[in-house]
Amino acid sequence: MMQRDVASFAFAPAVKVRLISAGFLTAKDICDLRPTELSKEAGISQQEALEVLQEVRRGPAEQGAAESRLTALELLEREQALGTVITFCSALDQALGGGIPVGKTTEICGAPGVGKTQLCIQLAVDAQIPGCFGGLGGQAVYIDTEGSFLVERVVDVATAAVQHCTLITKDTEQREALQSFTVETVLSQLFLFRCHDYVELLAQTHLLPDFLSQHPKVRLVVIDSIAFPFRHSFEDLSLRTRLLNGLAQQLTQIASQHSVAVVLTNQMTTRIGQNQSMLVPALGESWGHAATQRLILHWEGKHRFASLYKSPSQREATVPYQITPHGFRDVQLPDPSVTPADPSLTPSLNSRKRPRGEEGDPSDA
Amino acid sequence: MANKKLRRTGMLPELCDRLDRHQIETCQDFLSLGPLELMREAGQSYQQVQTLLRTVSLACAPTMVTALELRDRRSHAFFPTSLRGLDAVLHGGLASGTLTEVTGPSGCGKSQFCMMLSVLATLPRTMGGLDSSVLYIDTESAFCAERLVEIAQNRFPKYFSLQERVVEMAQKIHLFRELTCQNVLKRLGGLEEEIISKKAGLVIIDSIASVVRKEFDTSIPGNLSERSSLLSQEAATLKYLAEEFSIPVVLTNQITTHLSRKGTAPSHLECNVPEGKESPVSADGESGYVTAALGNTWSHSVNTRLIVQYLDSQRRQIIVAKSPIAPFSVFNYTVQNSGLELEDSAHRYHPRADSGTAKANTCCPPKHVPSADHFFSLCRSVMHPPQSYSASPQVPSQPTGVAGAW
Repeated sequence: MMQRDVASFAFAPAVKVRLISAGFLTAKDICDLRPTELSKEAGISQQEALEVLQEVRRGPAEQGAAESRLTALELLEREQALGTVITFCSALDQALGGGIPVGKTTEICGAPGVGKTQLCIQLAVDAQIPGCFGGLGGQAVYIDTEGSFLVERVVDVATAAVQHCTLITKDTEQREALQSFTVETVLSQLFLFRCHDYVELLAQTHLLPDFLSQHPKVRLVVIDSIAFPFRHSFEDLSLRTRLLNGLAQQLTQIASQHSVAVVLTNQMTTRIGQNQSMLVPALGESWGHAATQRLILHWEGKHRFASLYKSPSQREATVPYQITPHGFRDVQLPDPSVTPADPSLTPSLNSRKRPRGEEGDPSDA
Repeated sequence: MANKKLRRTGMLPELCDRLDRHQIETCQDFLSLGPLELMREAGQSYQQVQTLLRTVSLACAPTMVTALELRDRRSHAFFPTSLRGLDAVLHGGLASGTLTEVTGPSGCGKSQFCMMLSVLATLPRTMGGLDSSVLYIDTESAFCAERLVEIAQNRFPKYFSLQERVVEMAQKIHLFRELTCQNVLKRLGGLEEEIISKKAGLVIIDSIASVVRKEFDTSIPGNLSERSSLLSQEAATLKYLAEEFSIPVVLTNQITTHLSRKGTAPSHLECNVPEGKESPVSADGESGYVTAALGNTWSHSVNTRLIVQYLDSQRRQIIVAKSPIAPFSVFNYTVQNSGLELEDSAHRYHPRADSGTAKANTCCPPKHVPSADHFFSLCRSVMHPPQSYSASPQVPSQPTGVAGAW
């Protein structure tokens, strides 16, 4: 630490230049001085000298990020404690290893009309399901850039979720939790931001850490969609790539530091191949690396399918789903002996959060 | 908000001057740069730059509103279309603050639908209207004032029996004829002032597709992206207006034939067609399928999409293809002198898995048989019979875009 170059500190450029030209090259040269001495020798103001000294004297633990060293065991315990946000479609939850993981970024891509906003609204309601029902009991932030967020739909989905929980209530703990899980509370704990262009989105992302610190119960942040503001009026594509990368980094950091699940929706664009055109996720190749997990929703004939396309821990899988007036649900299979009669009575809701080890191989399901 | 000058964000004036010298004047310029560049241009340390970013972000970030407040705020959230089945499925009608697109082959009734909506918007709230004026941007010269009056007088005969009411209604509909893309864009730019000055409650653009498809030939490289960016710009402006003034915005679009391989066509568009008849929107194996024009990006921009198509020579269908709150639904209708009339009184909800087995709709004869000659004499138009849309691979079929056909 003592050998650290002065040039590597985050001082203002003018201050750095003066320090270096006065002969201070490493941290060791500076840290023993008093502010007035430093200011006279380097030709900087006393205030600036004080700031320089404070910065230099801070130990490495305070300078860097808080989570610099963790063993894998600590990480495992932490991940298991964080939990997941269920989607109410048991097949998808199984493929995802319980649901959308908290602490990571997940991207949902799909063609228009396939159900991305529906899934986001479902997740925003599901994040608020109380812990004794298998949920997280948290709040949700919804950043809407497209204008597709309709409150009436949230009311429908929330009503269905509350009804479902009422039906499966067994013990007093659940009954008590149900008092605070009503349509009104669900709506009041859903924080909505409407960003009209990419500048507002960038600004909101800068302010998100403060907001999350003030609202520590938030467990889900949805950005629907991240593609829309970046897909027009951008002649300079390198600027766009740079902004998107910065945004992705910030969101990943927010996800892990504040223990929230970050969900982004992306659009699809047509790529003209040799003789055919295919639909690929928008925002370019480099954006594909931004999110930790990628889910692609698509049509096949009359049915909708969700494919887990990229995940560090789950196998690729494709599951069917449907959108009902109650929200995002499983597809009811025609054979009643295979699946339970009511598809919304998913096993994941009846038990508490299962650690990953019990899941088994999702592809066997 | 993005163009807010830095001086108004509470930043120190000396700092603003220094940034001005580097051409960083607005919030947009400031936020588009990374922290290192900002450190260099502003001459500040990293911590100070973070503080500045926070100040600037606070100045242009949106305010937070909870869903509960939003629900309580939206008293007049839906604009009823007077097609009862459709309104029931859409939770009340066209959602204000969103973009609704009506797309379909030429001659199906899109312009008729728009004219009907214009009449409805001028009605008082007790009759289900918006009691406000309408801004109608017409790019195809399909707007026919006589037809407008005819719809009004036939749909609400008692209300419009007084001549003054007809005049009042007609005065509230402001028509703008724009024939090029640039003019449309300019008109959209000035629409905010028009909405305020004329107290408009509905904006209709009929149609968004015609000018764009006339001017942009997508086979020329570069045109596709230019067209997409123009459309995105228009969509962003319209969304902003819709939300700012809480009004519904209705657009019409055309259709195009998409040539693709079997299996990739979204055959959810195939619906309720009587057996043996040819469906204009079909996913037949080899040639292609018909879909809304203007591409994928545009499809993401609209919030609700209604597709109209032919069923047979008299009857048409209106399909709710994309909606944030309504399931996929199909309604049959006919065009009559009172505008559009749905056929059955009860609407039909089609869960996806069942639509494969759906049989031909039970039809009841329409209330009046429209007399074709009577309508032709009012507006210059040609009625298109249902065509078979399977295109040959060389020449993709495109609707000829005859103005005013219904």
